[in-house]
Amino acid sequence: MVTLNVNGIECRYGSTKILSNINLNVKPGCFIGILGPNGSGKTTLLKSISRVLKPHNGSILIDKENIYTLKPKQVAQKMAVVPQYNDVGFNFSAMDVVLMGRNPHLGDFQMESSKDVEIAKNAMELTNTWTLAERPINELSGGEAQRVIIARALAQEPKILLLDEPMSHLDIINQIELMDLVKTLCTKNNLAVLAVIHDLNMASRYCDTILLLKDNTIFALGSVEEVMTPENILSVFGVDSIIRKNPITNAPYVIPLSPKKLSEEKNSSIHVICGAGTGTTLLKTLRDEGYNVSAGVLNVADSDFETCELLKLLSLSDPPFSAITDKAHEANLAMIKNANMVILTAVPFGLGNIKNLEAAIEATKYGIPTYVIDETPIIERDFTHGKAISLMQQLKEHGAIFVKDSTELPHSIIPKNNS
Amino acid sequence: MNNNNNNNTVDTCNNSQRTEKVYSQRAKRWKLVIAGLIASLIVTIIVSLNIGYTFISYSDILTFFGTRIPYVNNLIDTTAFTREQLANQAIILDIRLPRILAALIIGAALSASGTLFQGVFRNPMADPYVLGVSAGASVGVGIAILWGTGINFFGFPIVPIAAFLTALATIFFVYSISKVGTRVPEMSLLLTGIAVSIFLAAIFQAMQFITTDHKLSQLVNWQIGSITNVGWANWWAVLPFIVAGIALSYFYARDLNMISLGEDTAQHLGVNTSRTKKILLVLGSIMTAAAVSISGLIGFVGLMIPHITRLIVGPDHRLLIPTSALLGAIYLIICDNIARSIGGATEVPVGIITALAGGPFLVFLLRRSRQKYRM
Repeated sequence: MVTLNVNGIECRYGSTKILSNINLNVKPGCFIGILGPNGSGKTTLLKSISRVLKPHNGSILIDKENIYTLKPKQVAQKMAVVPQYNDVGFNFSAMDVVLMGRNPHLGDFQMESSKDVEIAKNAMELTNTWTLAERPINELSGGEAQRVIIARALAQEPKILLLDEPMSHLDIINQIELMDLVKTLCTKNNLAVLAVIHDLNMASRYCDTILLLKDNTIFALGSVEEVMTPENILSVFGVDSIIRKNPITNAPYVIPLSPKKLSEEKNSSIHVICGAGTGTTLLKTLRDEGYNVSAGVLNVADSDFETCELLKLLSLSDPPFSAITDKAHEANLAMIKNANMVILTAVPFGLGNIKNLEAAIEATKYGIPTYVIDETPIIERDFTHGKAISLMQQLKEHGAIFVKDSTELPHSIIPKNNS
Repeated sequence: MNNNNNNNTVDTCNNSQRTEKVYSQRAKRWKLVIAGLIASLIVTIIVSLNIGYTFISYSDILTFFGTRIPYVNNLIDTTAFTREQLANQAIILDIRLPRILAALIIGAALSASGTLFQGVFRNPMADPYVLGVSAGASVGVGIAILWGTGINFFGFPIVPIAAFLTALATIFFVYSISKVGTRVPEMSLLLTGIAVSIFLAAIFQAMQFITTDHKLSQLVNWQIGSITNVGWANWWAVLPFIVAGIALSYFYARDLNMISLGEDTAQHLGVNTSRTKKILLVLGSIMTAAAVSISGLIGFVGLMIPHITRLIVGPDHRLLIPTSALLGAIYLIICDNIARSIGGATEVPVGIITALAGGPFLVFLLRRSRQKYRM
């Protein structure tokens, strides 16, 4: 059982602290994701643990022995590293590179035995690189080379594996395969894994512990559920987010929201009458433009309703699949009165939501500028036997402005480059 | 369709077994390559003894070696030698052999140190010249010549000793000022090496201005790079350093493989990177100084031979160090053969031959490698 203890380490570059007061205990079978914004000290932390950058204070122990009193070879027998940049100067074959992973286990003049070749082969088969064995590593693609480097780390037969952004060169299938592999080694072989990961959702899907770094020190350390909160993500990354459950894995799923354009924060309110997903894009665009956006009346579980929830927009709702109640209609009219503008999307009308069309007519009566996005002709989306068609006609007569799609809305509302 | 699939599976399987076999039996293959090169070197030496102003037959050459081998020499009746045969034996012993053996160790030393420097700096452009080691050695030689040659120092000629000292001083100076914290970044080391090299070359040129005519010609002759006047005494003086240099660097060959992947990677794989780099730089400097002190500046061997050898045998230093040393030896012996045959009575310094052959070849190699490798 190999444990890794990081005790209060501090690293400096000149007089600038690049890491301070880091305490961490890693047990076998632990998968720790190191997260943090650029420059928060993630790579520095991995470098000091991997015996490349000696910390000014504190100690790093493997099995209670300080890594700086152990020989480099002894450390390499227990700990392997997959570094971030893998340019190889000379044209070694992939197999040559993987066999170098056997170095910590070889004597000074010893050649690799057929047993070492066997271990290297197994490592390459695990990372799907055995067919590339004799190819020069410089001729491989970034992803292939990355997998060869991971095979080299596995050939070291380590107890602790450090990965520095292992997925940066990989496409999605290779990312998943790699993380699955590392997770399997972690659970089946009791390998302790420390990985710097940029993708919050990959981290929460595979790691069991998250280390969140901010300003060169630990901001949060704990289980994925404890650490992955909108509050933590806002204070570390400075981005608003919504946490949902990944429907397949049930891991916390982070949906980051683009920051509002604070400089263009507008004091005007826009009320959007939508439903059935016809307003989703528009709602987000308007929010990003800095408007106070409200929406109504929507059914709970309608996709536009969910968008409002996610974007934290004011919305009115009725239970799923039910008709709009009078109470909701009144509230809708109240919202419309407070708005500077109303936009009606090309929502299909049935008897359940026909009141929304009446609400739009009320808006024109209040003298509020009303835009109608008429992407789909009303004939095709009228399920009220002509009632919606005649109400639409009335809407036109009351001076509502009809546009073909949201890009035709005046540029003063939505600038063209942002449609 | 099914057939195709089956064939593919069989092929992959065969390939896979082949790869395993190739890597399990590498040591055997490498020994064969080295044995082949040693045989080629011996043939080159014998052929080179045949080349020269006086005709010496192969039977005389073989007889010469026969008289030096225990037991075999009992079979040869030296009293029956003709006057001409005796004269030929003297030419081989005093003129041709020392010169060929000098070319051998100088070529081996320059190539081996070039291989070390290229590996440590992960840069096929690195060589003793770029790092200022050769310039450092030449300043030592210059000082020794100005001081007056022929002064013995513990029985050794002063020139090689002075070259060792200044070459070592130079590499440590370059190494320590390019050091950042506990690490030595390649780029800073190369730039420092070039700067120091230019500075030391200027000092050497200044020496030529302040000296007398007699010593000036000595300096100039030495600088051109020639192995005409090496002689047995100088040869024996530097031989131990070159042999020890190659043998010790072979001890670090596997570490050097990992260092050539990058400092951090080597560290991760269990190499004591900074110590090993230091040792390899010292070994490279010792070999360079040993060669430079007896031959002057013979350019391009340390740059070109490791490069060519790597193209032929691959980048593994366990094979690359011995093969580049052997190829360097063969190459310099051949260059020296050309140097002493093409000019007729006047000899061309071998440094000119290596530069004339090396320059264009390097340009050709660079253009080719730019397409083929990302170095």
